[in-house]
Amino acid sequence: MKLGKVVAWEFRRAARNKQFILMTVLLPGIIGLAGGGVALFGGAADGAARTPAGPPPPFLVPMIFAMILFIGAFLNGTMTLYGVVKEKANRVVEIVLSSISSRELMAGKILGQGLAGLIQVVLWGAVAAAVISALLPGLSWHLTPVQWVSYPLYFALGYLLISALFATIGAGMKDVQSSGAQFLVGMIPYVPMMFVAGIIQQPNATWIRLASFFPPFTPGMMMIRVSIAPIPWWEVAGTILVLGLFDLLFIRVAARAFETAMLMYGKNATLRELWRWGVRRRR
Amino acid sequence: MPVSQEAVLEVERVTKRFGEVVAVHEVSFSARRGAILGLLGPNGAGKTTTLRMIMGIFDPDEGEIQFSLNGTTGRLDKERIGYLPEERGLYADAKVLETLVYLAELKGLDHGEAGRRARGWLTRLDLGAWSDRKIESLSKGMEQKVQFAAAILHEPDLVVLDEPFSGVDPVHQDLIKDVIRDLRERGTAVVLSSHMMNQVEELTDEIVLVDHGAAVLSGSLDAIKEAHGTHTVRLRFAGDRAALERDLRIEGLAIDGDRATFRLPKGTTPDSFVRGLPEGIIVREISVTRPPLHDIFVQTVEGGRR
Repeated sequence: MKLGKVVAWEFRRAARNKQFILMTVLLPGIIGLAGGGVALFGGAADGAARTPAGPPPPFLVPMIFAMILFIGAFLNGTMTLYGVVKEKANRVVEIVLSSISSRELMAGKILGQGLAGLIQVVLWGAVAAAVISALLPGLSWHLTPVQWVSYPLYFALGYLLISALFATIGAGMKDVQSSGAQFLVGMIPYVPMMFVAGIIQQPNATWIRLASFFPPFTPGMMMIRVSIAPIPWWEVAGTILVLGLFDLLFIRVAARAFETAMLMYGKNATLRELWRWGVRRRR
Repeated sequence: MPVSQEAVLEVERVTKRFGEVVAVHEVSFSARRGAILGLLGPNGAGKTTTLRMIMGIFDPDEGEIQFSLNGTTGRLDKERIGYLPEERGLYADAKVLETLVYLAELKGLDHGEAGRRARGWLTRLDLGAWSDRKIESLSKGMEQKVQFAAAILHEPDLVVLDEPFSGVDPVHQDLIKDVIRDLRERGTAVVLSSHMMNQVEELTDEIVLVDHGAAVLSGSLDAIKEAHGTHTVRLRFAGDRAALERDLRIEGLAIDGDRATFRLPKGTTPDSFVRGLPEGIIVREISVTRPPLHDIFVQTVEGGRR
């Protein structure tokens, strides 16, 4: 299977990147050290004062993991975007596309880079979990079955969506220095973060339920909603399904945009052009 | 090896427009097994656009491109075709050998076979010592050889080379020419483009000369030269110079001491000229040559514009 070869190749190149290795090891190192420091010294100083604060709120853990998702996905999205731009700038694209389709290439880049990024994120998550349980011994790690199933899916699909969005933007960029309004498209999934307070207060308000079905908002909104209130099963299943389909669609859009944009050196594509290239039918 | 008649690629009256500009206009040719077809013409003549249509990167607006690869007729089989694009590069952060292996695997070779062939080609192209170096450490010419190897590693039936000699030093140009001749011996169909007509004319069996998107001349090199080239004679002689001046069969005579240069008009073959040399002329040296392709091209294009 050629897609598998592309994924393996992109994964190897991503994982060998020095910046990537540094980020993967350094960040959890800092978190771990800082957390350890607070637990040891801070804990000894005001350990008595902290206990009366009561059990931590139930949405704390999903919030922290949503944060890790978004930070990790952003870094990974940026790497994917640079990978795509470099592929164009290096002129390697015409050679590769003489063997495989642009769809295989884009899917391979998004999945290969994403796999490397996921390993990074899982490592960060493990360190964060260790630090949290050291700092907040009273925290409950109990999850309902719905949460067990839905968290990883929202996480993985959201992650893929952000990668695909960034890859599409990269397809239209002429070099790594230039970026403009296009970059904002990659930030759409981050919008729900601004409404966290509202979501926590009324997790089942109609507008929030509707907005959860808008795929770019789905991961951010649903990870928080699922953790604080019972959500009808069909809403969970429905949002996951819509998000998954949207992922597939957007990998396709990225590939189409890339196919058209790859021979345009010299100029940045506008959002409108990207959209047109992404969705038009091939003759 | 005689040129077989089996066409691997048929390009039929393809036209490609970019907005108002007609980049390629009704160009036709076919590539056959064991033959090298040269798509020649100045920069901007539409060569790269034509090759990109063959590779399926652009769709032609009009006309058709047909393949007969692997026993099947019709669409492009990417595993049976090798392509060296004009705009070319490789993954700068990857190593030479692993890059070739990866690209060969994308062409359907298994890992072991890809590795064996990649090592073989790196040795033949004087790059054996660079296998484990990163692409970014190669010179431009070396990188070009790696790209060339990637285009032929999987032993395709059809090889499409866009300006294979640009940026390569003369020694390595000869090396690449040798490899291309070997491909022909093995029965591969080769299509190559170049703006350096004189550099590749010796290599090609068939030629399509393009200018401003249209084919102005096509056919075998011999036939084109026969049809368009008048012979140029360079002569060192002794004896009666007036006899030469009286010879009505020659044109554009220029005499400088004992050296004379002139053309044979169409219809006068070198053979008939030599047999009928005027009395009183003693030949010391003589050469009868046809003009280089470049001159024929210039003549044809200028003739057409007048």
